[in-house]
Amino acid sequence: MSRKLFALGIIVALAVGLVPTTSFAQDIVTIRYFNFTSSPDHLDDLAEIVAAFEAEHPNIKVETSNAPYGDYPTVLQADFVGGDPPDVFELEYQTFVNYAANDVLLDLTDYIDPDTPYYPRALEAFQYEGKQLALPETFSTVVLFYNKDLFDQAGIDYPTADWTMEDARQAGLAITALGDNIWGIKAPIQFWEFYKRAAQNDCHFFNEDKTESTINAPECVETVETMVRMLEDNVMPDDAEQAAEVSGDDKDFFLTGRVGMLVSGIWMFPLFEPADFEWDITVDLGMKHKGSAFFANGIAIAKSTKHPEEAAAWAQFLTASETAARVRIENSWELPALDKPEYFQAYLEQTPPDNRQAVFDSLNAVVTLPVIERQTEMQDVIGELLDAVVAGELDAQTALDIAKEEIDALLQ
Amino acid sequence: MNGEDQIMTLNRPLLRVQSFSRRASQAALQALQYAVLIVLALIMLVPFVWTVSTSFKQQSGLMTATPQFIPNPASLDAYRTLADRMDIPRLIFNSFFVTVTGTTGQVIFAAMAAYAFSRMVWRGRDTVFLLYLATQMIPIQVIIIPQFILIQRLGWVNTYQGLIIPGLFNAFGVFLLRQSFLTLPRDLEEAAFIDGANRFTVFWRIVLPLSKPALATLTVFNFMALWNAYLWPLFVARREDVMTLPVALANLAGSSRYQGSVEWNVVMAGAVITILPILIVYLFAQKWFVRGVTFSGIKG
Repeated sequence: MSRKLFALGIIVALAVGLVPTTSFAQDIVTIRYFNFTSSPDHLDDLAEIVAAFEAEHPNIKVETSNAPYGDYPTVLQADFVGGDPPDVFELEYQTFVNYAANDVLLDLTDYIDPDTPYYPRALEAFQYEGKQLALPETFSTVVLFYNKDLFDQAGIDYPTADWTMEDARQAGLAITALGDNIWGIKAPIQFWEFYKRAAQNDCHFFNEDKTESTINAPECVETVETMVRMLEDNVMPDDAEQAAEVSGDDKDFFLTGRVGMLVSGIWMFPLFEPADFEWDITVDLGMKHKGSAFFANGIAIAKSTKHPEEAAAWAQFLTASETAARVRIENSWELPALDKPEYFQAYLEQTPPDNRQAVFDSLNAVVTLPVIERQTEMQDVIGELLDAVVAGELDAQTALDIAKEEIDALLQ
Repeated sequence: MNGEDQIMTLNRPLLRVQSFSRRASQAALQALQYAVLIVLALIMLVPFVWTVSTSFKQQSGLMTATPQFIPNPASLDAYRTLADRMDIPRLIFNSFFVTVTGTTGQVIFAAMAAYAFSRMVWRGRDTVFLLYLATQMIPIQVIIIPQFILIQRLGWVNTYQGLIIPGLFNAFGVFLLRQSFLTLPRDLEEAAFIDGANRFTVFWRIVLPLSKPALATLTVFNFMALWNAYLWPLFVARREDVMTLPVALANLAGSSRYQGSVEWNVVMAGAVITILPILIVYLFAQKWFVRGVTFSGIKG
């Protein structure tokens, strides 16, 4: 008897547990928004934007959740595999292509107000085969940071927006001459820098229809040689020399005041604030012409969402409303990708750096990431070959000849 | 003085020297042993000391060329920032709630299953046990997606039951307790049956009390595993109201693609807060932990 009761108890307990907790509210639509940029610094800021949105749309409730940047793609993918993705979610520009190619994103063309003042370049970044599959949420650019004190000591002019790699090398020689443990520039030699300099030098990774790689063309070889020359002339420290000076990364290296110029992203502004020297920024160096690296986060909507209208309303509010823009700028939560100079007044007035305008000037010429389906593999191949060139194991021509062969194989 | 005496007198101081030197060498050996142990202990301690020390540093003191063990200036900034950014009491409660209910459930279910596998006779018992044990060989990474889909369809994402229930059934615990139950003399149980006890009474009043060391070991293992669990909570607990400490900690370290902007003092303050509760539990449960390990060592 007692055993039967016990078994019954277990069955009842399981059955109760199995009933999913559903909300019984009838007219309110709940939109689930999944993101990685809000935690941990901007949870309150996101809550403020959500509150403003819900006040404007009393019939929509936004439920937010987040995951750490490193694991976000895995978790998001699991949501899609499980067949119950969030309605609205963040995507990095680099991962956007994967999702777009898999046809899981809602085409937003009919849902968005065509007059929304997105930066055209940012809007284009999230188009795929003629469809607008995500909205640009925020952007950042890579600029040239420079240590004014070292330029003063060397008695040379500060960098300007039209400087090239060669100008930087000349200035770097003067700064390197200041002392044994002082260097002219830190311009990392890795995939992300290379694709940018390549574009600046008219080096194309593949032909028009992406059937064959052209990465071993003379323009590309020249690009690699120009980048590596900084090391050869000792204008830039190699890894061992830098490690001997400072523990930590390029950020710490710049902060020690031992390097004249640094190519890095605008997300460094708050980190360089405590520097005990004067510094400023300008548009990144160019080669044959200018071209700045451009990163963006986008907001996409799952194709399978039950509430496309409401989801699109939230996506648009989050990316383009004045409230969202104001909250982001006030709290240094990246920059909204909007061509509305009046929104950015407060941002431009903050110092350092004095020349914040360079952040926006960079947008006049931006380079696009060369994208193929087997993107990660291509980036790894190029990254490893660049390492070999830096280590002196291969010359630029040989490395790029190998790169061409391997990329050709990836394009098959 | 005859020759023998001479030898004796000569020998005595010699003997004394010998025994002295033996004692000295024993002492030296012991000193050496201690020295080695102290060095090893220090090596084990350094990361922990570094964690605590970093949590009291200011952002500017993080990356100095010469490592600082004593933070100068020491500050509580990191803890303040942490408290600003996250609902720490809530996170601690979530972690405790999930760990305590999960551990309790695991131990209860494992004990009941282990009893059935060791004492009750039914057809196919050993085959079922082997099959069950085989699930132990499958790494969590393989089953996590199917398991997640299951939980997602149940609507249990961002709920406590989604966090706790999938972990309740664990082959390792069943195995450990079954081995322990097998070593108990059957006579005790038979005596109880003769006295009119039913199965449950025997299980509850005889078998469990006699298996305390094994139960304690399992409890400590499960407690630590659940407290530190990351992968599963990452999938099912993404909202702060159900999030556990390790996931919140990862959120601190990995909120941006730009490694350069990680505030390590804040991350370390989070780590200290995560370590402290388990350290306290460990200090109290140490006796059981050690006894459990030696116990399973002897029987194993």
